[in-house]
Amino acid sequence: MFLRILWKLLGASRGRLLLALVALASGAAICSALLNVNLDAEKKLTQEFRTFGANVVIAPKAGDNAALADAGIMDRIAGLHIPQLVAAAPYLYIAANSGTQPVILAGTWFDQVAKMDSWWKVQGKWVSAKENRAECLVGQTAARQLGLSIGSSVELRSGGRNISLSVAGIVTTGGSEDNQILTWLDVAQGLAGFSGKVSLVQLSVSGRSSEIEGVTRQLAAALPGLDVRPVRQIAAAQGTILGRIRGLIFWTIALILILSMFGVLASMAALAMERSKDVGLMKALGGSVGKIMRLFLAEAGALGLLGGTIGFLVGVVLARWIGWRVFNVAISPHLEVLPITVALTVVVALAGALPLRFLGRVRPAEILRGE
Amino acid sequence: MAPLVQVEQLEKRFGEVCALNRVSFEVEAGEWIAIMGPSGSGKTTLINILGGLDHPSGGRVVVDGRDISHLGERELTRYRSEKIGFVFQQFHLVPYLTAVENVMLAQYFHSITDEKDAAEALRHVGLGDRLSHVPAQLSGGEQQRVAIARALINHPKLILADEPTGNLDEANEVVILDLFRQLHLAGHTILVVTHSQVIGNLADRRVELEHGHLARISAPPAVLKD
Repeated sequence: MFLRILWKLLGASRGRLLLALVALASGAAICSALLNVNLDAEKKLTQEFRTFGANVVIAPKAGDNAALADAGIMDRIAGLHIPQLVAAAPYLYIAANSGTQPVILAGTWFDQVAKMDSWWKVQGKWVSAKENRAECLVGQTAARQLGLSIGSSVELRSGGRNISLSVAGIVTTGGSEDNQILTWLDVAQGLAGFSGKVSLVQLSVSGRSSEIEGVTRQLAAALPGLDVRPVRQIAAAQGTILGRIRGLIFWTIALILILSMFGVLASMAALAMERSKDVGLMKALGGSVGKIMRLFLAEAGALGLLGGTIGFLVGVVLARWIGWRVFNVAISPHLEVLPITVALTVVVALAGALPLRFLGRVRPAEILRGE
Repeated sequence: MAPLVQVEQLEKRFGEVCALNRVSFEVEAGEWIAIMGPSGSGKTTLINILGGLDHPSGGRVVVDGRDISHLGERELTRYRSEKIGFVFQQFHLVPYLTAVENVMLAQYFHSITDEKDAAEALRHVGLGDRLSHVPAQLSGGEQQRVAIARALINHPKLILADEPTGNLDEANEVVILDLFRQLHLAGHTILVVTHSQVIGNLADRRVELEHGHLARISAPPAVLKD
């Protein structure tokens, strides 16, 4: 009988209940969308962050400025099969001269740099093919000082050895690369006579701060004698941004749910007025306050369940749209958001049903007299 | 044997207004009592107190051996569901429940529901073909018969009716009165608030109120009762 009356109650005040349902489903949709985005945002943002440069550096121990590391560490890093490793670029920095002007020549692996530093602005083209050893990228400041432009060639001399490189592109990074000439690692090693040596290795590691710390420890254990350290500023900035986004999402959800509750409150207050006569009658027939209130709270709970489920489904679509607009990727639906959304919506519906609790104070004699 | 209802020095005040003033009378089990009097004489107040819908200001009311004058809300709720069957002038059916569901509602608040019993109660009042109709699809007389079936479903000790034919035309009044007569013959104890002399003449006794006082208790002449 409980379910039968509940069903009839839901059908009896369709207009008002529909308004309450719309308020609940709207709140639930935004809640579901933001929760879905929140779960994916960290992953998506971490991926985005990984295109903004290295966050772990491996170098010879501090204080040993002249020391170079063995390039064989690249094979040892690869042998660790670290799933979070996005890219690993070795660098060898050597002092060279172009004519009479000193310049830093950096030898590296461009295929790895392209993954790690895709935000670099390059006029002309990247040095892409490993076979083409005669090409280089020139930092914009160095290009200006040396009078180089795209397509021109630059003669470099170091330790009595000479090479001639063709300028494939002018690179702007805002960092030290703007003053350097970048070429393939083995070309720089050949010019300097440091075959099989690197100055440092830059790594891009995806994941939360704790994961990055974990990878750092794993690398340090595998590479004794080398200094493996995370780039603190980048990791900290990443953590701060993620924390702020999470905070923004949390407070938005809280505000939206409070607004939904006000919507439900308005509908339920009107409903309580409508229902006072029915409640007076039910009490006259011997209905206890608990038994009558259970009916109305179950009605609110059912609305919450329905609103939460509809809201979750709409939220999944909304999250995909937000994903495309903000991250340019699809946010995949997370089923674990469903129970959270439904539970929150049921709580909001029950809180919004507060006016119905005043029905417990209805005096049947007054209601039945028509007062 | 003790009377089913004992009303002793009953008083009810609403602020300065004294709605009932030291009213005393008794009702034996199986009696049909008509509570009569002009408007504002305290009839409805009396029936509300007897039905546990209101508290007296003074005196006491004993129903089926239990003093209900000082019961709390929870005990009064239980009293209403177990001892009392109400029939109201405005029928007071739940508009979105069918006839059988309205009867089952009283069962639900009493203990457990039994749709067959509820349907049987409606058949007894001649509404076997109206079980799944909502109140809006029933005439006034039919709605009042649903209310009577609802009042009887839990086998109450006392049936309290407040102007049960007040909103009915003559034809339906006859039907409802006939039902009350059958209930009386079946041994039910009935208290009816009424302005109608016809009902007053059908009752075993008339309790007449005037300005909250008990004016008289009388039995209708036997010739009118028949």
